[in-house]
Amino acid sequence: MKKPESPRQIKTKTKKESLSREEQQKQLEFQKEAVVHLNSLYNYALHLTMNPDDAEDLVQETYLKAYRFFNSFERGTNCKAWLFKILKNNYINRFRKNSREPGKVDYDLIKDFYHSIKDTRSDTTEAESDYFHSLLHEEVYQALHSLPEEFREVIQLCDIEGFTYEEIANMVESPIGTVRSRLYRGRKLLRAQLEEYAKKYGFNTDTEDQ
Amino acid sequence: MNCKKARVLMSAAVDGELTLKEEQDFLAHLAECKECDEEYGEAKKTKMIIKERIVQFKAPQSLINSIMQLTSITAKEHEDTLLYE
Repeated sequence: MKKPESPRQIKTKTKKESLSREEQQKQLEFQKEAVVHLNSLYNYALHLTMNPDDAEDLVQETYLKAYRFFNSFERGTNCKAWLFKILKNNYINRFRKNSREPGKVDYDLIKDFYHSIKDTRSDTTEAESDYFHSLLHEEVYQALHSLPEEFREVIQLCDIEGFTYEEIANMVESPIGTVRSRLYRGRKLLRAQLEEYAKKYGFNTDTEDQ
Repeated sequence: MNCKKARVLMSAAVDGELTLKEEQDFLAHLAECKECDEEYGEAKKTKMIIKERIVQFKAPQSLINSIMQLTSITAKEHEDTLLYE
């Protein structure tokens, strides 16, 4: 919204040493390009940290860094991929170095986490079919998290986030062939895991949606 | 194409990352190899399950607010300045 530049405004501007046009432009662009991926980043952070508070911190840190280095982002390339990479690095620096053993899966943590998240969603009444539905959700979640991290990560980035192999290869810093083979093996493992759960609950993964 | 090669390319086939030629050869192999064909079907199903069953959550309002603040707080100051007089 443009206002005519009255002498008074100009005076106020210089006094406050306010935003250059360039900076404003940067912010608008950042909002349009980067902030739109907030939900995706949050979910990725959740997968990594298994903790909503940590996830929130991680995302904030990521956006701070991203904003600071926004000028180094190559326009026209995939901003989401760029953000994911920053987030992953932050995650490694912040969490992996200190707390849990890398790759160790805490099943109770997953169960608790999933239930705590479930409660915050607006759920419809739990009919019996819903029970099986949501049960399968959780089992899928657990199955995914039972995978070794390098398999889980590529499945997440490919199947959930929809990145290309090239983008994934860049994010995980491995050749495309490696991404391909991890996806292949990861899916095989996952399939075996899901088979187990499906049997346990008498739910055949062949008959999909009701 | 033999089974070994088909398996190497299988995930790429699932994800649409094959070249046209690779895809043709791959599908031709599936047409004559029951095992690979079955495995391909299962891989596709597994991907679908992940896509559909893993829930994506909405970022909490507190996070949305702080990110919006991050990128517009200085703009807001500027705006306030303009409005002030």
